[in-house]
Parts: sequence; C-alpha cells; structure tokens
Amino acid sequence: MTTAVRRSAGTVAVALAVWALFVGIAGPAIASHVEATVTSVGEVSVGETVAIPVALHSRDGTPLAGTVVTFYLHMAFAGVEGDAEIGQAMTDELGVATLAYRPRLAGHHELRLEYVAAGDGEIESTSTIIEVTGGVRLVHSPAGVDVPGVGVELLMAVLATVWSILFWVVLRIVAIARAGGQAGDAGLEARR
Amino acid sequence: MAVDRTSRGGRDVAPLNDWQARLEETALTPVRQTGRRFWAVVAILLAIIGWGVYAYSVQLRDGLVVTGMRDRISWGLYIATFVFFIGISHAGTLISAILRVSHARWRRSALRMAEFVTVVALICGASFVIIDLGRPDRLLNVFIYGRWQSPIIWDVLAITTYLTASITYLFVPMIPDLGLFRDRLAGRSSRWRGWLYRTLAIGWNGNPAQWRSLASAIGVLMILIIPIAVSVHTVVSFIFAMTLRVPWDSALFGAFFVAGAIFSGIAILIIVMAILRRAYHLEEYATEKHFVYLGYLMAAFAAIMIYANISELLVHGYKLQEGVEFHFRQLFLAEFAPLFWFYLLGGLCAPIVIALVPATRNVRGIVAAAILVTLAMWIERYFIVVTGLRVPLMPYEPASYAPTWVEWSLLAAGLAAFALLIALFTKLFPMIAVWEVAESREAAVTDDGATRPIGEGPRLAEEASR
Repeated sequence: MTTAVRRSAGTVAVALAVWALFVGIAGPAIASHVEATVTSVGEVSVGETVAIPVALHSRDGTPLAGTVVTFYLHMAFAGVEGDAEIGQAMTDELGVATLAYRPRLAGHHELRLEYVAAGDGEIESTSTIIEVTGGVRLVHSPAGVDVPGVGVELLMAVLATVWSILFWVVLRIVAIARAGGQAGDAGLEARR
Repeated sequence: MAVDRTSRGGRDVAPLNDWQARLEETALTPVRQTGRRFWAVVAILLAIIGWGVYAYSVQLRDGLVVTGMRDRISWGLYIATFVFFIGISHAGTLISAILRVSHARWRRSALRMAEFVTVVALICGASFVIIDLGRPDRLLNVFIYGRWQSPIIWDVLAITTYLTASITYLFVPMIPDLGLFRDRLAGRSSRWRGWLYRTLAIGWNGNPAQWRSLASAIGVLMILIIPIAVSVHTVVSFIFAMTLRVPWDSALFGAFFVAGAIFSGIAILIIVMAILRRAYHLEEYATEKHFVYLGYLMAAFAAIMIYANISELLVHGYKLQEGVEFHFRQLFLAEFAPLFWFYLLGGLCAPIVIALVPATRNVRGIVAAAILVTLAMWIERYFIVVTGLRVPLMPYEPASYAPTWVEWSLLAAGLAAFALLIALFTKLFPMIAVWEVAESREAAVTDDGATRPIGEGPRLAEEASR
C-alpha cells in the first residue's frame, strides 16, 4: 500500500515537474482572437505599385472594421537586420486594409503585418511574401557629379602651387640667413 | 630713420630713445622674470591636463563606450571642440593678414599674440580629432585607405597646409625680434635659451639685404595665408554639409563657418590680449583703442552672423522639409532652446550693443562681449554637430546625447593645454612685435609733422618697394 502511494506520488511529482518545465520553456499560450487573410500578390516588378490587402475577421467571422494594420518590411543593411515600417492602413467595413506598396529593390520581400486585436489589446501579426523582379533597383544614383576638368588633378595643382609658394618663402628665410652670414664675415674681415 | 635698427642685432652703435628702450624692456621682461604666480598657474594647468590624460587612458582602455556617443549620435563634444578650435585659429593668421593687407596700423600690438593663438589653437584642435577616433592608430587609415573624394582627406590636407603656413607666418616676422632677444639676453640667460635665440634668429643683423628678404617674405605670406585660412574652415564645413543630414543641407555652410571662425577668433584674441596685458603690464601697447577697434570688428562679424542665421533659418523654415520642423522645434522651443536663445541674443546681439553704447565701449565691456561670443560660438558648434545628428532619419524616437565625465575632462584638458602653450610661448618668445610697434610709433610721429599715407612701417615699405 505504502509502495503504491509512493509510486503514485512519484508519478505525480514527475508529471508536475515535466508540466512546469514545459510551461517555463513554452511560456503562456496566447490564443489568437483574430483571423487574418493576406491576399497573395504574386510577382511584381521593381517600381510597380501593388496593393496588399489583408482581411481581418473575428473568430465568428465578423469583419473587424476600424483596426489599424501596420506593415513592416524585413530589411538588411550594412550587416544589420530589422523590420522597417513602410506604412499603415485601416480596415474598412469589410475588415479589409490595403497598403499601396512600391518595391524599390528586386528580390524576396518579406512583409510583416501587425494589428491590435479588439478587446484585450493583444498585438498580433501575420506575414506575407512578395517576389519582386525586374531591374536591380528603382533609383540608381551616380556617385557624385562629374565636372570635366575638376578632379584630383586640380586639387593637386592647387596644393602644389601653395606649397611651392611656401617653399619660396623658405628660400627667403635662407636668404636672410645667408645675408647675415656674409655681413658677419665682412665684419670679421673689416676688424682684421 | 628714427627706428633704431641696432637693437635688432645690428652692429652699428646708436643711442636708443627712452620709448624704444621701454618697449624692448617690456618685451624682454616676461623672459627675464618669472614669478611664483606664473608657476602656480602652470601647476594648475598641468593638473587639469594630467586629469585629462587619465580620462583619455580610461577611454583608450575601455573604448568610446565611456563617452556619450553611440551609433546614432556618433559625433559630440570632441568634434564640436575641434571645430571651435579650428575656428579660433583664424584669430591670428587671418585677422593679422587682413589687417596687414588693409594697412591697419593699430594692428601691430595685437599681431604676435594673434599669431600665437593660431598655431596653438590648430595644434589643440587637431588633437581632438585624434581623441575622437577612439583608437589613435586608426589615424593611419586616413593615409592608407583615404579617398580623394572624401572631405576628410581635404580636411587633412588643408589643416596641414594651414599649420605649416601659420608657423611660417609666426616665425618670419619674429626674426628681427629674435635677433633682439639673442643680443639683449646674451650671457644673461641660460645656455639653452642662448642657443635657441641664436638658432632662430638665423644670423639676423638688420642689413638691407635681410630687410628686403623679410619684406618680400611677409608680403607673400600675408596674401597667401588668407585663401588658405578661408579654405580650411570651408573644408571643415564640408564635412557636415556634404553629409545627407537635414540641418546640414546648406550651400551657405562654408561662408557661415568662415564668418563664425573669424568672429570667434577675434573674441579669443581679445581675451588673450586682456589676460597678457594684465599679467605683463602691456597697457602702453595694448591700449583701450586696440580693444575698441577689435570690438568694432567683432560687432561687424556679429552682424554678418546675424544675417547668415536669418538667411539660413528663413530659407529652411519657409520650405520646412521633413525633419526641419523637428530641428527647429528642438532649437527654439524644446531641449536646446535656452542655450540656443543665449547664442542668438547673448552671442550675436549683445556684442553689437556693447560696442555701440559709449558706456560699455571700453576694455571691460569689450572683454565681457568677447567672453559672451566665445561661449556662444562653442555652443553653436556643439549644436551644429549634436542637433544635426539628432534629427531622426527614419521613424524612430530621436536619440539623446549627453557628454560623460571623460568628455568633459578632455575638453577641460584641451582648454588647459591651449592656455599652457600660450603661457609658455610668452616665456620663450617676444609676445610684442617690437620692430613693428616701433615702426608704427615712428610713422605716427612722422604723421604728426607731415602727412604721409598710412602703410607699413617706413623701413619695410621702403624695402618692399625696391
């Protein structure tokens, strides 16, 4: 009897420990209150404006009107990754929020759509992917302005002129020293 | 020729008049006598510099994380102070060159001090760039990986050229006075001092050939130094103006920086002159007239700065591009408003009022105005750097920046080093341009008897015209 009780107690303890570990690692479960449907836009070209609609409904299928949806684009620049906000839109009476998006770079664009569930104020999100094709980028800025005749050569010429004049001044200083030396020698000669 | 050239190392014997003897004595006194007060000042300055060295060692050990600078506001107190020092370096070379070119005779007493300020300020300013690097060894990267398209490279070239030209411009007109020191202190000073003056006087004995060479060298230098000085601060402004930041997006920045540099340079010159005048009893040579004239010059540049500010703020404010509103709000209404209004009212308007009102148009008034200008111009440099970087480039909260004790300590050490170098200069070199002041006096005496055009001293003008 005692052994059975011990075994039962041990089993319960192990079960509780496993449950506590699971809860500790997994954290509290968050039930989603909103169902979001993003209409896939498929492939678009660089520079083409595309509408990204997202429909929000409650669990019972009621459209969620007046909910603000914030759109983020996952970006990587200079080794740093993060989500950049690209716009906001509000759902209409059908629960649809649409963002007009004009991709500037070709490639795989991963968008995250964030909205606040009505009622308890939980932030929820969904994501979608757009494949952008076409040229490498929408805007290509040339590096600097190319003015004929204005370049390193001109900079070097100006610098060389300035340093040449400074060198000429140094020669004047040498001339002062030499004139002093000659006068000194002449004075010595006269004294002799 | 009333000016006695024998005092400059000439071998002819002629009697010195009392005035000139007094002038030479005044120039020599700081070198001959050093009181306890001087050593006390040096000790205090060395202590501040020592504390700065400790702060720098902390920065070297732990990295730039010990400063308030981070990724978004990556320039702060150091770069603001660098710009400030480069600005005040215009005190000497540019002001003295402009006054020489314009034949302003009253300038002569202020020349040497102004030229000291230039060289010392350039040395101190350049050191702040190295401090800002965090790792000083990375300075080499400028030379290893430098690109001609980068304003940083232009800056290095311009400042190096300016420093060389300024040292030359300080040295050349000082040669006759070094000859005077060599002769007057021969056998009466330490051996190293004798060697120093003998070497630097480069055999000066005041013969006509030497005067001719001196006149032509000064004549060329005083013209050359003006475009170099203008280019230096223009290029410093390019570091900001050529970066894509809303508050720095201005074609006026170069001219704005140059005007501000001369403005702050005059203010520092007035302060240095006032301190040296009091410390070394130079009342006879740095008179109220010199302060008032410099005060007028400072007021004129204050008016130019007001015009430049109105032009800049009005144009940006009228268009009010994204980011400008934020920038204006932080300057006029929010975080930086008290100091920005001090800059506008205390630093730009007050000096004009002080120079115009007869009751304040005296040494004390002008020095007070100069202190206001110096503080205001440092604040302006700080605002250009920090508020410019604070405007967000993306929709995020604006970053904040507050200098840490390490940065304040290094600022204090930089200012102390500036003061110490000026103090040491006065103990080694003639701080009054003796021969130029003497020529000015001679010209004034001649003018009393007969009308003659105001120009360079008779001897130098005579030699230059040959």
